[in-house]
Amino acid sequence: MQRLIFTFLLLFIINTNAQNLPFQAGEKLSFTASYNMSGILTELAQVTMETSEVKTSKSTILRLKCTATTYSKWDIFFKIRDIYESYVNPKTLTPYLYKRDISEGGYNKFVQYKYNHNSKTVASLIRKKKREGGTYDIKKTVPISVNANDIVTTIYKLRQLNFSDTINGSNDSFTVLFDNKEATVSFTYLGKETINTTIGDKECYKLAISIQGTDVLKGNNSNLLWLTADENKIPIYAKFKIPVGNGELKIKSVSGLKY
Amino acid sequence: MKKIIIILGVISATIAVILSVLPLSNLTYIPAIIALIFGLIAIYLSRENKESKKIIHLLLLITIISLAIATYKSVFNTVEIGNTEQLEKREKESEEKAIEELEGLGL
Repeated sequence: MQRLIFTFLLLFIINTNAQNLPFQAGEKLSFTASYNMSGILTELAQVTMETSEVKTSKSTILRLKCTATTYSKWDIFFKIRDIYESYVNPKTLTPYLYKRDISEGGYNKFVQYKYNHNSKTVASLIRKKKREGGTYDIKKTVPISVNANDIVTTIYKLRQLNFSDTINGSNDSFTVLFDNKEATVSFTYLGKETINTTIGDKECYKLAISIQGTDVLKGNNSNLLWLTADENKIPIYAKFKIPVGNGELKIKSVSGLKY
Repeated sequence: MKKIIIILGVISATIAVILSVLPLSNLTYIPAIIALIFGLIAIYLSRENKESKKIIHLLLLITIISLAIATYKSVFNTVEIGNTEQLEKREKESEEKAIEELEGLGL
């Protein structure tokens, strides 16, 4: 009987989560990434976040894809063509496969995680370029925490959080697996704020981001993210401070929104 | 004193003109304004002398050209992403491989 109740509860939670997904397949968000050079913001790259459905012989899987492309004027100096993707359960956003294929100014790296949620491990594959040509693989089985996700899934899972009843200062954290290491990413809710964007004036949830155990992000409350305070919860604007400077990410265009 | 100001002005104007033709044209305004200030100070210092002011005029001319290029670029040049053909190909290949991987995971 207890098992039956548990199963019903689990199904209810899964169903509720599925209904609460603030996005659908076919959503495309484009951003402009700018870097602060001597106090002047310079547009460097375009970042896109896309969702699509992928069909296998047995099921339909949601593909979450983020790409970064430098603007043509920068390609001669530092060409970036990055792809980050995660293949997740379309209802629960449980990740099955993560891929990171980066090409940054001649530096290439490929990372793949195959999740095994039963054994709480990830089969990791890291492929790098050899100096003398060709590539070499590093394969590892990495143990992960129960709720560990990759970076792409975390961004989309963040949009699932309910901020409507959240008190200012309250925080939530996610365990993120990056380069075979787990890091805790914390989000502190800082209240609502209306900001002006290319898609109009939007009331947003303002969040401060921090990563524990690493110095990737600098400053206290210097890394901020604004999510629209509507049902779509689009990440509309972000400010970041890293060891080599600071910059921002601004929304450029949106399409395929669910609501 | 005047010589130092002119030298600093010429250096700033040269940096400004180089920056204006690079993708970093947004940064032109900083050395250009410095060059303009030095140029104006140099004119002020040399107004009583009857020395040749050609170098100062050249400095101001270079500065104005760099400012014009930077302003033109900021007004008329729109940013556009570079060639993404290779990226799109990689994305497609990645999806195809991912489907194989997912099938291998029993999904």
